[in-house]
Amino acid sequence: MSRARIPYRAVTAIQGGVFILFCLIVLLPMLTPTAARAQTQTNESERAIPVPNPSADLWREVRQREGIVAGRSQVAGVDSGTLINPYGETWRNFRMQQLIPYSGYLLAGVLLLLTLFYFILGKIKVDAGLGDRKLFRYTLYERTIHWFIASVFLFLALTGLILLYGRPLLIPLIGQEGFSLLASASKEGHNLFGPVFAVALLLIFFRFVRRNIYQKGDLTWLLKGGGIIGKRHVPSNFFNMGEKSMFWLLALVGVVIVGSGLVLVFPVFGQARITMELAHVSHAVTTVLMIAVILGHIYIGSVGMEGALDGMTTGYCDLNWAREHHAQWAERCEQEGEVVSESEVSSQRGEAAGGPAAPSGMQESGQ
Amino acid sequence: MIGQLIDGPLWYFSLAVFGVGMLYRLYSILRAGVKPDLAPPRAGGGAGALRNLFSRFVPRRDVATRGRLTLIAGYLFHLGLFALLFFAQPHVDFLAERITGFGWPALPYWAFIISAELAFVGLLLLWLHRLLHPVTRLLSSVDDHIGTGLVFLVMLSGCLALAQAFEPLRLLHLFLAELLLIYFPFSSLMHTFTFVFSRGYTGAMMGRKGVNA
Repeated sequence: MSRARIPYRAVTAIQGGVFILFCLIVLLPMLTPTAARAQTQTNESERAIPVPNPSADLWREVRQREGIVAGRSQVAGVDSGTLINPYGETWRNFRMQQLIPYSGYLLAGVLLLLTLFYFILGKIKVDAGLGDRKLFRYTLYERTIHWFIASVFLFLALTGLILLYGRPLLIPLIGQEGFSLLASASKEGHNLFGPVFAVALLLIFFRFVRRNIYQKGDLTWLLKGGGIIGKRHVPSNFFNMGEKSMFWLLALVGVVIVGSGLVLVFPVFGQARITMELAHVSHAVTTVLMIAVILGHIYIGSVGMEGALDGMTTGYCDLNWAREHHAQWAERCEQEGEVVSESEVSSQRGEAAGGPAAPSGMQESGQ
Repeated sequence: MIGQLIDGPLWYFSLAVFGVGMLYRLYSILRAGVKPDLAPPRAGGGAGALRNLFSRFVPRRDVATRGRLTLIAGYLFHLGLFALLFFAQPHVDFLAERITGFGWPALPYWAFIISAELAFVGLLLLWLHRLLHPVTRLLSSVDDHIGTGLVFLVMLSGCLALAQAFEPLRLLHLFLAELLLIYFPFSSLMHTFTFVFSRGYTGAMMGRKGVNA
């Protein structure tokens, strides 16, 4: 069997492709089926024959207007004494009238913003150009858990978006039967991979938390908008203020996502329907927020910035890139003699024949 | 039409390819034989083979430290997949109906789900490690990636079909499992069986030399 080598150039191209594909998946359904949906609604309203419900008055009385009225029942279980939970309607209205449209606008807005950003500013280049000197940035373990959480997150985001927007957006495209199959598959996959995401989040948190504690100079970075305000790069440490803030946002939001997800996926611990509704709302709001932030992260890592992805694919980043975006960290590495040449990196990675042996400080297998 | 093909002829064909191919591969290994060891043995080879077969399940301390990720992920994946394959209720029912003719106690649903999650965690970490580690990346062949990918797709399609409410999802899972069965004997997935031979051979050789390996 021939040996397969997967060059990292290919990996980089795949990352760019993944970002574009992700954008298309999120954006396309939001733009295309509006007309079809309107047509379907018109047809349905034309076909509908108004038949008054003879039990409407009875059920209106049972509903008892506002608040949950619990009666007595022989049936054991949570909410078994409640015939109608009026908050269910509140939750449904919120989901249909606020959550779905506004979260859709948010995601579409973020995608539009990133697209505009790309077409106006283009790919942010390294001013000094990419050189042949590298700095070791991420260990194998760090890269592995990063791509682990990335792949699980993409799967969860895709299946979650299908569940959230599928009814209004996908049914006009693939029909009710097709969507019911897709929704069932998405729900099962989403439920099964949810706890896997919790594991990945824990691994990421404990590995990166120390480097994400705020330091002196972070505020300066923030005040200068990370270099957007003014023309000079703002010096930062291993992670800049933006990356640290994203880490903490994701850690905190992640806890809400995982917690609310567990409440939803294990409805066997006595949680009432109203708890499930609140869990669903917080789960949906926080995940949409997280997807919006991660879209920015994917953009920077793929097509937005030259040299940003290298550290997470090869473990090494370009020295010039590090000097411009993480000057304090790069300076410290240079003082400690951690700069290595590209040929040393290639040799160590087995990508070039011959070449000098890798220095002992190069930690490829650091776990 | 396609459903009938997947459920009927293709299933029997893939099972036959798997059975015949696997037996042929094992027969080939046994038929190749080993060089005669002319040195007088210091101890029996059988005990060494048996010892090595089981002692290798426990990694050496330095391996356990340096390769902690692959060690943990490896156990998660293999144990999770084993539990999933042979003790998930749908699989027990399927095997009883199609192959054995009798069933056995299955895992409760929650344990089945946890097994699947552990297997996914392990498989994803191992695959990423294979792609990202410079040595395993160079050592890995296309065959390794196809094998891993097929196992992943079979597991994923199975998880998507968990509701057992949609025939196309079940057929997709079965079709991918059939592709895996056909591919299995010609791939490195054969280590499922050949690890016994390799460990046994090494253990017997060392045992005859009196080495406690």
